[in-house]
Amino acid sequence: MPKDAHTRPTSKYACSIRVGTSGYSYAEWLDAGFYPPGTKPGQMLQLYAQRFSVIELNYTWYQMPRAPAIERMGRLVPPGFHFAAKLTRYLTHEIDADQWRVHAAQYRDGIAPLIQSGQLAAVLVQFPPTFQRTPKNRQYLAALLDELHGLRTAVEFRHASWATDRVYVELERRGTALVSVDAPDLKGLFPRLNIVTSPDLFYIRFHGRNARGWRSGNMQKQFNYDYTEKELRERTEEKIEQMAGQSRNGLLFFNNHVRAQAPGNALAMIRQLAEQGLI
Amino acid sequence: MDIRRFVFYLNSRPLDPFYIMDRSIIHLNIADFAVAVERVVDRRLQGRPLIVAPDGSARAMVYDMSEEAYQCGVHKNMTLHNARRLCRDALILPPRPDRYERVMQALFKQALPYSPLVEAGDADGHLFVDITGTSRLFGPPIDVAWRLRRQVKADLGLDPIWSVASNKLVAKVATRLVKPTGEYVVGTGDEAGFLSPLPVWLVPGIEQDDLNRLREFNFTRVSQVTSLSLEHLRVPFGSRARFVYETVRGIDPSPVLPVGRQRPVVISDHDFDEDTNTQAVLEGALYRMTEKAGRRLRRQRRAARRIIVALDYSDGLRCVRQSAVKPATANDLMLFKAARKALNLARSRRLRIRHMRLTCDRLIFPPAQMALFPEERRDKEKQDSIVAAIDRIRSRFGQSGIQIGWTLVA
Repeated sequence: MPKDAHTRPTSKYACSIRVGTSGYSYAEWLDAGFYPPGTKPGQMLQLYAQRFSVIELNYTWYQMPRAPAIERMGRLVPPGFHFAAKLTRYLTHEIDADQWRVHAAQYRDGIAPLIQSGQLAAVLVQFPPTFQRTPKNRQYLAALLDELHGLRTAVEFRHASWATDRVYVELERRGTALVSVDAPDLKGLFPRLNIVTSPDLFYIRFHGRNARGWRSGNMQKQFNYDYTEKELRERTEEKIEQMAGQSRNGLLFFNNHVRAQAPGNALAMIRQLAEQGLI
Repeated sequence: MDIRRFVFYLNSRPLDPFYIMDRSIIHLNIADFAVAVERVVDRRLQGRPLIVAPDGSARAMVYDMSEEAYQCGVHKNMTLHNARRLCRDALILPPRPDRYERVMQALFKQALPYSPLVEAGDADGHLFVDITGTSRLFGPPIDVAWRLRRQVKADLGLDPIWSVASNKLVAKVATRLVKPTGEYVVGTGDEAGFLSPLPVWLVPGIEQDDLNRLREFNFTRVSQVTSLSLEHLRVPFGSRARFVYETVRGIDPSPVLPVGRQRPVVISDHDFDEDTNTQAVLEGALYRMTEKAGRRLRRQRRAARRIIVALDYSDGLRCVRQSAVKPATANDLMLFKAARKALNLARSRRLRIRHMRLTCDRLIFPPAQMALFPEERRDKEKQDSIVAAIDRIRSRFGQSGIQIGWTLVA
C-alpha cells in the first residue's frame, strides 16, 4: 500500500485516481482475513479507511440515506477519505412515476452531509439490465439527471442498447461520467468501453468476469471472481492510462466482494498504478 | 481433573462463538395487514379508503383500516359508527381471519429457503427471519432482506416494510418508524443511538403501566430513560428494572424461534351458526371443543398446563382470558373445568358471541407422579377411565356414538 493513500495523489497526467471497493461491511471479509478476527461491524469502516482512500456506498441503494447516519459515517474516516454513493433503487430499479421526484429530493437531503464536508466523490446511477434505451427511459434519464443537477454523477448501464454515440455525446454535454464496466463478455450486457464523457471524472467498476454465475440471481455467484495480475495489468496499461489523460479525477471500484477478492484486487491495482506512475 | 477444577475450567473457557456472533435479523411487517390482504384479493380496492369491521351490528368496532381511512382519523377499536362519520366514503369489509391466516402461512413459506429460524406473528403480517451466518451462502443481510421483500411482492402481491437489525426488538421498532412503506437498516452497535431520540411508547415491551410510571417522572423519550442508572430504575420498577434498562438500550437476547420448535399448542375453533349469548349454548360448544382438544392432546401423549379462551363478539371485538390447569392434564372433564373458568372471565360483555377459540398450551408430557391421597387418586382414576371408555366407544361407533349431556343443549 502506498504511504500517501490519503493525500491527494499526483500522477503524471495530473489526474487524481482513487481505488476502493463497493461496500465494506461483509461478514465474510472477516473469515477471509481482510478484517482482523473479532472486528465488529461498527469498526469496519475505520479499518477499511486505513487501507483505502475511497469507498462506494452500496447501502444507499437499498435504503434511502438518512442525514444523521451519513454524517456519523463521515466523521469516522480520516481527512481526505471520500465516498461515492449509489443512487437509491427508487430512482433506478423501482421507479414510481408519481413519486420519483420526491425520492430524489429525499436522497439529496440524505447525502447532504457528505456534500457539505466535501467528502462526496460521486453519485453512482446504476440501472438494471431491464432498463433499455426506449424513448420513455431516455426521457426519464434526462429528467433524472436534471433533478440531480449540481452533483457529480456517473451513470452505469447494464444493457447494450445504450452503447451508442448519441448517448455519449449527451452525457458529455451534461458533464456526466459514463461508468466503464468490467463484467463478463455476455450477449446483451453493456460492453467494456473506455470512453470518457466528463473532463472531471472517469469511473470504472470491476464486477468480475464470472460468466456462469452472472445471471444466477445469486450475488455470491455473480460476483465471485478473482482478477489475475495479468488482467489488471492489461486494464491499467490499455485503458486506465488513456482515461487518466482525459480527466481530472478517476474512481476505480471492485465489486467482486465474495471471499474478500475485491479488497485484494484493489490493493493489487493500487500497486500497479503506483508502478506506472499513475498515482 | 477434580470436580472443582473442572467447574473452573467450564466457567473460564471462551463462550461458544455462535453464541456471541452478531446476529442479523430481518423483520417483515405488512402494514394494515387485513386491508393489504383484501386488496390482493380485489385489486379494485386499491387507493380507496377501507375499513375492516363487522357490519350490521350497532356497536361494531374497527378491526383494521387502510392508510387513507387512518388519515381521516379512523383508528383500531373505534366504533364503526364513529369511523363512518369521520370517513364517509370508506368501504366497509367484514374481517376474514381465516384468509389472513392462510396468507401468513404463504409468507412464512417465502422466508423458509433463507433460514430455519423463522418466527411469524399471530396472523398480523409480522415475520422475523434470523439469517445470522448465511452471508457466504446468500450474500449480505441487506440484500437478502431486499430480495425476500421483492419475492413477497412478486408472489403474494404484498409490499412489506422491512428492516435489518441485530435483534428482534430493534428490528421491530425500525419497521414501526417507516410505516406505511419503506425500509430501515440499523447497524450493529447503533442500537442505543437509534432508539435514543424516540418516544418510549414506540419501544415494544414497555407496557402501559411502565409508561404511566415514567410519565410520573415526566419522562416520554427513550433518551430520558437511558439517563437513569439501573439503581435509579429499581425505585419505580423493582424487579422489572433490568428489563426496562436493557430494553431502552436496544438489548434483546430473545431468539427467533426455529421452525417446528415454536410452542406446541392445540387449538380448536367454533363458529356459532347464529350469534349467541346463552350460557348453555356457549358451554355446550365449549365442551365439544374441549373434547376435540383433549383427544388431540391424548393422541400426542401430552398434557396442557394452561387453557385460553378467545371470544369474538358480534361487534368484532375480541376478548381473551386464560386459566391455569393444575395439575397438567389431558382429561376432558378436568380441561373443561378450567375452560369454563376462562369462558366466564372472557364473557364480560352483554353482547352476543360469534366465534370461540380454545387454545391448550404450555404442553408437557404428563407427570408420572400420582396423587398422594387415595380419594383424590380414586377420583382421578375414575375420570380417566370414563374418558378412556368414551374414546373406545367413539373409535368404534364414531363421534356421535356417545355424547355428554352438556353438548345436547347446543
